[in-house]
Amino acid sequence: MRLPGFEYLNPQNLDQTLDMLAEHKDEAKILAGGTDLLVRMKKGLLAPKYIISLKALDSLSYIKDESDCIKIGTRTPIADIIASKPVQKHARALFQACEKIGAVSIQHYKGTIGGNILQNNRCHHYNQSDFYRSGRQACHKDGGKICYAREEADRCNSTCQSDGATALMALGAGLTLAGKDNKREVELANFYTTDGIMPFAMESQELLTEISIPKTNGESAYKRLAYRSAIDYPIVCAGVLLESDNSDKIVRARIVVGAMGRAPLLLANAASKLKGKDMNDQATFKDAATAAMSSAAAFAVHNVGSTLEYRCAMVEEMVLQALKEI
Amino acid sequence: MSDYNIIGKRMPRVDSRAKVMGKVRYSADIKLHGMLVGKIKRSPYAHARILSIDTSKAENLPGVKAVVTGKDTEGVKWGVFGYTRDQQFIQTDKARYIGDEVAGVAAVDEDTALKALDLIQVEYEQLPAVFEPMDAMASDSELIHEDFPNNINIHVNIDTGEVDENFKKAHYIREDTFTAPEESYFQAEPYAVVARFDEDECLEVWCPNGGPHMKSKPLSNSFKLPLHKVKIKKIAIGGAFGGRSEICPADYICALLAKKTSAPVKIIFTREENTIATRQGHAMITTHKTGVDKEGRVLARDTTCYMDGGAYSSTGPIATTVPFLSMEQAYRMESVRYNGYRVYTNKPIRGMIRVHGRGFACGLDTQLDMIAEHLGIDPVEMRLRNSRQPGEYTNTKSLVSSCAMDETIHKAVEKSGFKEKWGKLPPFHGIGIGTNSVQTGFPMGIRGGSQSFIKFNEDGEATVMTGVVDNGQGNDNMVVQIAAQELGLLPEDIHLVSADTETTSSDPGSYSQVSTFVGGQAVKNAASNCKKKLFDVAAKVLKVEPDTLKAENRLIFVKDDPEKSIPIKKVVRISLLNFNSVNAEGGYWPKVDMKREWVSNPYGQMCEAFSFGTTIVEVKVDPDTGEVEVLEVTASQDVGKALNPLVLEGQFEGSIAMGGQGGMLTEYHEWHEGRCVNPTMLDYKLPLACDMPKINNIIVESIEPKGPYGAKEAGMSIAMSAAQGYSAAVSNAIGVHMDSFPLTPDKILTAIKNKKQQDTAK
Amino acid sequence: MEKLQITLNINGKDQALLVQPNDTLLEVLRDELDLTGSKESCSEGICGSCTIQMDGKPVRSCLTLAMEAQGTKIKTVEGLANGDELSNLQQSFIDHGAVQCGICTPGMLMSADALLSETLNPDDTTIRQALSGNICRCTGYSKIVEAVAHAGKPEKSCPDCQTKE
Ligand SMILES: Cc1cc2nc3c(=O)[nH]c(=O)nc-3n(C[C@H](O)[C@H](O)[C@H](O)COP(=O)(O)OP(=O)(O)OC[C@H]3O[C@@H](n4cnc5c(N)ncnc54)[C@H](O)[C@@H]3O)c2cc1C
Ligand code: SF4
Ligand code: FES
Ligand code: FES
Repeated sequence: MRLPGFEYLNPQNLDQTLDMLAEHKDEAKILAGGTDLLVRMKKGLLAPKYIISLKALDSLSYIKDESDCIKIGTRTPIADIIASKPVQKHARALFQACEKIGAVSIQHYKGTIGGNILQNNRCHHYNQSDFYRSGRQACHKDGGKICYAREEADRCNSTCQSDGATALMALGAGLTLAGKDNKREVELANFYTTDGIMPFAMESQELLTEISIPKTNGESAYKRLAYRSAIDYPIVCAGVLLESDNSDKIVRARIVVGAMGRAPLLLANAASKLKGKDMNDQATFKDAATAAMSSAAAFAVHNVGSTLEYRCAMVEEMVLQALKEI
Repeated sequence: MSDYNIIGKRMPRVDSRAKVMGKVRYSADIKLHGMLVGKIKRSPYAHARILSIDTSKAENLPGVKAVVTGKDTEGVKWGVFGYTRDQQFIQTDKARYIGDEVAGVAAVDEDTALKALDLIQVEYEQLPAVFEPMDAMASDSELIHEDFPNNINIHVNIDTGEVDENFKKAHYIREDTFTAPEESYFQAEPYAVVARFDEDECLEVWCPNGGPHMKSKPLSNSFKLPLHKVKIKKIAIGGAFGGRSEICPADYICALLAKKTSAPVKIIFTREENTIATRQGHAMITTHKTGVDKEGRVLARDTTCYMDGGAYSSTGPIATTVPFLSMEQAYRMESVRYNGYRVYTNKPIRGMIRVHGRGFACGLDTQLDMIAEHLGIDPVEMRLRNSRQPGEYTNTKSLVSSCAMDETIHKAVEKSGFKEKWGKLPPFHGIGIGTNSVQTGFPMGIRGGSQSFIKFNEDGEATVMTGVVDNGQGNDNMVVQIAAQELGLLPEDIHLVSADTETTSSDPGSYSQVSTFVGGQAVKNAASNCKKKLFDVAAKVLKVEPDTLKAENRLIFVKDDPEKSIPIKKVVRISLLNFNSVNAEGGYWPKVDMKREWVSNPYGQMCEAFSFGTTIVEVKVDPDTGEVEVLEVTASQDVGKALNPLVLEGQFEGSIAMGGQGGMLTEYHEWHEGRCVNPTMLDYKLPLACDMPKINNIIVESIEPKGPYGAKEAGMSIAMSAAQGYSAAVSNAIGVHMDSFPLTPDKILTAIKNKKQQDTAK
Repeated sequence: MEKLQITLNINGKDQALLVQPNDTLLEVLRDELDLTGSKESCSEGICGSCTIQMDGKPVRSCLTLAMEAQGTKIKTVEGLANGDELSNLQQSFIDHGAVQCGICTPGMLMSADALLSETLNPDDTTIRQALSGNICRCTGYSKIVEAVAHAGKPEKSCPDCQTKE
């Protein structure tokens, strides 16, 4: 399959990159590993006029183990994250999530963590070839006015299937975004819009530069379900974080469910079931998992494989398994 | 000790060296001077009348060399049989599925060709479309093909009589319905074709094919060229699994473009095109009604099967029959009635596939297990009581000469520890058995035998010419092994010229398991004729009778006195000095009942041999997610004779991956209004290395008297029985007999939940 | 579209090339350099048949721009053998019957070669994991896994290991 034509830009440093982004805005796309972007371009889902490559920006590839957080440059390959001792130790959910992305032998060396967070939402009515999408009306995400996944939907409900984002949200990660004249930080949990057409609350001239994962006394875990054990996006996944006090009482809990909505879902209600409970109280885990299921079920549509009923049922199971693993 | 020094040995394949070096050329790798890129415009509608096609804009685009539409085809229709001629290579009046060919372009490069496709303007009138066989039969809107009422493409009716009477005698009767959606071949090589007209106006074509001669005939008809002017060339092929057997419309379109432009043209399919516009397996709805006596022996069976045939006939009559044949070969039945309906729908074309009829076969085995459970018999005993025995006739009157079905069952049972495990495994842990049989080398009513020609060169090496094609399964090696064995040479002395319509004689092609049985046998006969000539000369030199001689390791020697010998090379030289070139031909035609016909007369000797396979599978099911972990698979097949165990094991293992792991757990197509939602292997779940279980291979040799060295076929009855073994194991693990395949986690989980509810209600 | 001049280091040799920005590395290898060993079976990063190595790491060349490959050391299946002399891994693939139709083979070899250069004695699970990004439709993987495990390390009990001295 051919890629559509574009002009290839190869900035040598961050400033140049930001200048280019500011100049070309919507007409430009960042190329990190390309494992998401280039597939979408081949399918004719987008045809940017400019491709701005991060190839020369080695300064965006790092994992820093700081006293209160781990900082990861967005161009860091997935393989480096898996190999990172600090990540394994302080951000196990991210390690577990990264291990599952695509296939070890391939995506991990090219695919980056920034690209993983910013990979576009997916839907099996949309992530198809030009030919597939011809001969029928365009859906919302494709520039039209209907949705094939949910009748009457006034917006796009494409699914965020990023493993990394789900784990990172559970870990309470924050993002750093840089524009030509500004730099801002945002919590990953607040980074999403409510429309699958453009799921990220970011400007076209912004670059995602850094991910920061706060270190806690807690432990995290990540579980996901797919039909195969590699080369398969999750159809449900869950990241959890639990922090307890000296007497094994849970003082802080985060439950995030992925692949069920337009963004990873931070489920405060489900998490609240755990607060103050004992770390070994399996019954509470079950309560929390059930609550997670009922919250998440409201968001999901049938657009990423298997059946909706099954995916909804599995929310409970994935959350439960993740909690039990801690 | 074996009589053979090459046959039966674990011999690495002759084609692998070039393959591991990346040097082998497949169709997409071909480059010819001045070659253009061809692309096909396809219908985006499932059912639509073509009102007009305007190609002018595309033709005016710089770089576009030709555009072809149905007008250029003179309306010729193609069909495997005279009575199924229903497919135009480029549609003129209407499109019948999303992907149907409506035009073709050739341009200087891919970007231009793609642009040109967009510039071709086709005006359609959309028609109501049907996507399910039941809906299609009941539909009162416009028929998909006007000559086929109720959209029924093929109806096969087989009735051996006394079915109703026998049901009356039965001790226990069950009727169950089983379903399975369509699956796909997913050959690793996406379809590609290169065509050109050479300076003598001969059409040369390179493309993956299940038999070059099966491609040249329709091309010669449609281009009105004599057969010798259509040259289908030898080329490496990246898998077939039954999906490369017929002519593909792209072959014709590519040749047409080459003709119009007077340049070579190459068309490479995208993965999506390979999925939707080559062939797929049939979706099936099968109802088996079975009556047994007290011992569980089948007295009567009444089977009805509805197959979703897609938009065109393809191998329709065969496809409608084969699931039934596999059943009647594997299991004895006192009486049987079969009604198979292949129904047109507005979905892609369907053809024969490695596991043809997983819903049918797995349904049958599931039902046997249900009956066994009712009677308190274990599944192994149930099969042994009904299994085919050598020397018997099938219900449709084919003699089964060699058959070691029972031995495949016994050996697999022993190796897998079935007896020790059955009924004793922990909860959600299960074991299951599947057995099946496939036809070896049936002529299909559309083609005959194979001929081979062998010539010796002065240096004592031999050139073997055969039409046998290698789709990836190792046929080239098979032919070389047979020739080397028979001629007394080493494999490296054999120069193979194969699968090329210009140089090799007709051959039935590499599907329906004919390659070894028919093609291999032809080579063996040619070699043996050639050897006779060598022996005549050698006998004179050695002053013995020719029938006392044997050839091996490049030598001809006296059997009882091996010291008395002469190098083959020398014999060839002597021959040539006496103006006698050493060459010979040989052929093989399967002896079957030529009056047997798929629809009009489905009785009589179907083919000469049948292979039998048993697969036992052990699984663990996660009761919380419905996920299946396959612990171990034991596969045993009666192959007749193992010509090369190394290659054979590879066929077994591949069969288990495709038939069992993929076919029964993860592979199926999903649809949305006639669109195939999962055309790539991202969403169509082919098994991966990390998901495949440990496999035990057991080769059983029954030595088929009519096969070359006793051989039948390799691996097909494993593919079939693997699907059955997998489904039986899962059913055993969860305590529910499943009736909808494949067994995906969602279905398994639902079954577990329902059972739990029922159990607590009790 | 205008073509750009680039240099790629392929199998140890620098190659000057004219490419378009939207040419993938796979297209350039196959169409410009006639290195057709790498296959395009899906074109979307799924199957692994286009796997090559960049600086020793397996990478899908169908999702790599030729422009992006500048400055790296690219190795393709054509670069595995030393002239006519096959690598242990290649020989092992032949001996163990790991090759059927051969379309997945180049990608498999490149993934396996990368594994073996990092891990001396990978066990079954490690090998299967390392090859999990390479789809084979023909073999069921058993023989491929065996071939990788025994590459250059003949097993006495294996009937297919070349024990020839
Ligand atoms: C076969 C296959 C299987 C896959 N399986 C999985 C899976 O299981 N789980 C999963 O999560 N993903 C999966 N992926 C998706 C993808 O490979 C990964 O998400 C990968 O991490 C993406 O990283 P990348 O660097 O290649 O992204 P790219 O494709 O380079 O970029 C993705 C998007 O992010 C933008 N972008 C990238 N970096 C920045 C930045 N710093 N600032 C601003 N914008 C940026 C790009 O413009 C683009 O829109 C799979 C992909 C393939 C082809
Ligand atoms: S969810 Fe609806 S609008 Fe969004 S991509 Fe899918 S079909 Fe289109
Ligand atoms: S062709 Fe590149 S991964 Fe399939
Ligand atoms: S050998 Fe055919 S795909 Fe692997």
